[in-house]
Amino acid sequence: MSRPGFVLEVDERTPALLMHEGEGFRLEKLPLGSRVIYPPESLPGLRDLDAHIRHALANPLGREPLHELLRPGMRLTIVFDDLSIPLPPMRTPDIRQRIIEQVLELAAAKGVDDVELIAGNALHRRMTPAELKRTVGERVFRSFFPRHLRNHDAEDKANLTEIGQTRHGEVVEINRRAAESDLIVYVNVSLTAMSGGPKSVSVGLASYRSLKHHHNVHTLRHSKSFNDPPNSAMHHSYNRMAGLLDESVNIFQIETTVNNDTFPDYVGFLNKREWEWNLKDQASYLAVKRANDLAPPKQRRQIWHRTAAPYGVTSVTAGDPIQVHEVTTRHVLRQQLTEVDGPADIGIFGLPYICPYNVNSIMNPILVMSLGLGYFFNLYRGQPIVRPGGVAIYYHPVRNEFHPVHHPSYIDFFEEVLAETTDPVAIETKFEEQFATDPWYIHLYRNSYAYHGVHPLYMWYWGAHALEHLGDVIFVGGNRKTTARMGFRSASTLDDALEMARERVGGSPSINYLHAPPLTMADVR
Amino acid sequence: MGLIRDVKVLTGGRDWRGRSRTPRSAAAHEPPEPPREFPTGWARTQVAQAARRALQRGVLTPLTWSQTRPEVQGRERLDALKGPVVFVANHSSHLDTPLILGSIPAHLSKRVAVGAAADYFFDARWRAAVTALVFNAFPVERHRSRRLRSLAPYLLAKGWSLLLFPEGTRSEDGWMSPLRLGAAHLCVTQGVPIIPIALRGTYAAMPRGRNWPVPGRARVVVRYGTPLHPAEGEGARAFNVRVGESITQLWAEEDLGWYGSLRAQARGELALPSGQQYPTGSWRRTWESTRPLVDRAPRRAWRS
Repeated sequence: MSRPGFVLEVDERTPALLMHEGEGFRLEKLPLGSRVIYPPESLPGLRDLDAHIRHALANPLGREPLHELLRPGMRLTIVFDDLSIPLPPMRTPDIRQRIIEQVLELAAAKGVDDVELIAGNALHRRMTPAELKRTVGERVFRSFFPRHLRNHDAEDKANLTEIGQTRHGEVVEINRRAAESDLIVYVNVSLTAMSGGPKSVSVGLASYRSLKHHHNVHTLRHSKSFNDPPNSAMHHSYNRMAGLLDESVNIFQIETTVNNDTFPDYVGFLNKREWEWNLKDQASYLAVKRANDLAPPKQRRQIWHRTAAPYGVTSVTAGDPIQVHEVTTRHVLRQQLTEVDGPADIGIFGLPYICPYNVNSIMNPILVMSLGLGYFFNLYRGQPIVRPGGVAIYYHPVRNEFHPVHHPSYIDFFEEVLAETTDPVAIETKFEEQFATDPWYIHLYRNSYAYHGVHPLYMWYWGAHALEHLGDVIFVGGNRKTTARMGFRSASTLDDALEMARERVGGSPSINYLHAPPLTMADVR
Repeated sequence: MGLIRDVKVLTGGRDWRGRSRTPRSAAAHEPPEPPREFPTGWARTQVAQAARRALQRGVLTPLTWSQTRPEVQGRERLDALKGPVVFVANHSSHLDTPLILGSIPAHLSKRVAVGAAADYFFDARWRAAVTALVFNAFPVERHRSRRLRSLAPYLLAKGWSLLLFPEGTRSEDGWMSPLRLGAAHLCVTQGVPIIPIALRGTYAAMPRGRNWPVPGRARVVVRYGTPLHPAEGEGARAFNVRVGESITQLWAEEDLGWYGSLRAQARGELALPSGQQYPTGSWRRTWESTRPLVDRAPRRAWRS
């Protein structure tokens, strides 16, 4: 039986608490009275996963069983979430592999020959063959790669189809092969409440023309939060698009959720509450921390990115995308949601080494901003854990380093755009089209492994709601120049950060710390 | 330097074993204790029995007898009895167990196991090991919790007599609490007799909170009652009432004398000595329960 989440009030008994800080972690003694938001303990994973998958495919919600939807001569397209989720990547065999293999078994039994597998990577970088193989497994990879197992190409005009426009004038344009298929089977992993459901096909297989209707400053500023779909303008847009898609394409959605077993046993202390650490946990904390701090940066990053999460799968649901997603969201919230009594003057967030856009890559400053002010800040329902005009304190070194292959447009965005302005609206107005249509960026996106040219701007918009909401942003341990370039401040220690925050929130502010690891979502009343 | 700093931050607020106290707001969210059963089988082996006999006869009993003045009565009532039996006594002091173990007749004393609170005596391994060796103790769950399957039926089946304190814990103020059903139920289901025992003066000699008897060799009385056999078809509740009445009468024997206590019981004047005549929280409860027992022994003719 997993214990529910709760809010800890730091008292004199409370030991130093764990927090991420990039490719490392630390223990930090928080001021007395600070509130710490812990998620429910990791839920037990499903025991016989293959049996659950079989059951879900045979008993879908609002659809006929999958084997009844398959017939010889049909065009079947299997789309799966790309490497941006789950984070960290899960231990093999990936849940997507297990599901796709069962779908293909059924398709083979029904004599379906025309099968394509597409990674729903939208404007993300293409997955490498090794990454594809890791996700779908050896057997699927050997049978379909490279001709029938590929990445979605949002700039391949010939292979995009405009489905139509929503009543709000939003263009829905998706991958042609998928649009012209008799059946799309979408295989999803929902790590947060924002993913899955109507977002899957309408975003994963879309083009820039389509994405710009919801990936913009206005929509994101009115998504409060984008992890709370009923109150997210972004999800309202997804829903309209999905409604349109529903009229013309047949989607069989398979969604899964995972528990909070984010780290393997040898760093088991990362998954435990600090006052419950035994001697072994403390010894492994010291050993791992010292080894991590002393390791050369490159090796350190490699080790972290090679770490695979021993997630347990907590649900597998198949059928109609809307009905399935209701179940999925319930499972996500069951694992992550903790009720919090009101926001505080200061919110503290420890940022990890990984975000959806730097798997096997480098977490550059723009991604740090997107992770902190976008993803972590938006891990709430109701209202943010920081009051309007309050201060967010993040832990991350914010190094000025970029992956030149994966993030070429990020470098230009950081050096040229942010040098001129950090205002999301100004950036959107002046620079978006230039970055989105730059032929070199498009070339790199299509032929190399680069994120789309417009992606860094989207990342900046991702934090637009937080930028508008917060009075100040301070990075503990952050590089001064890079944080200053982004319009933020850096502090050496938490005490310094609290001192710097005084001018905004006074000398005895209330503090909320969103405990991470693992992933926590605050239900702020 | 980094390591030293890390160690300081890590160990801050933790004790020498690396344990942290649970923050107050997290107390309601403590994990359920994992089932943890301390094995006691080794304490009933021949070697452990020999060691225990040496410890009890060489150290425990002489020490107890040197620090108190025990008076043992009614032992002859056990002469005809063969084990296994269940000894049941009131409980108000850590002296109770050594006094009983030191006064049980030899033909029964070789195979006696003592029920000890699992959450008190068996929570730390070292304490569990010492308790098991010295007293042949086995863990008893007293909060009806969760986990341990009682060893008592198994021990009775193996021929071990048991010493149980059915009040469940030592008395807070020297007076008795109602007897729980466990011991009576055990005897009814296993068909073994109960030997009621009343201990007087042990609270005054060594109350809760003391780890050594009070100076001056206080008088204590261990009074064995007539063995009680569960009657045919008798339920545990009815049997428990009989046990309670027997201990009550033995308790009163100290004040009223043997015949007086029997008469008082026949007249229905005796009730479980729970100190109810003194209001809860009154100083008189403790005052009366710590009153030294009157020395009834005849004056010695010759004094050294």
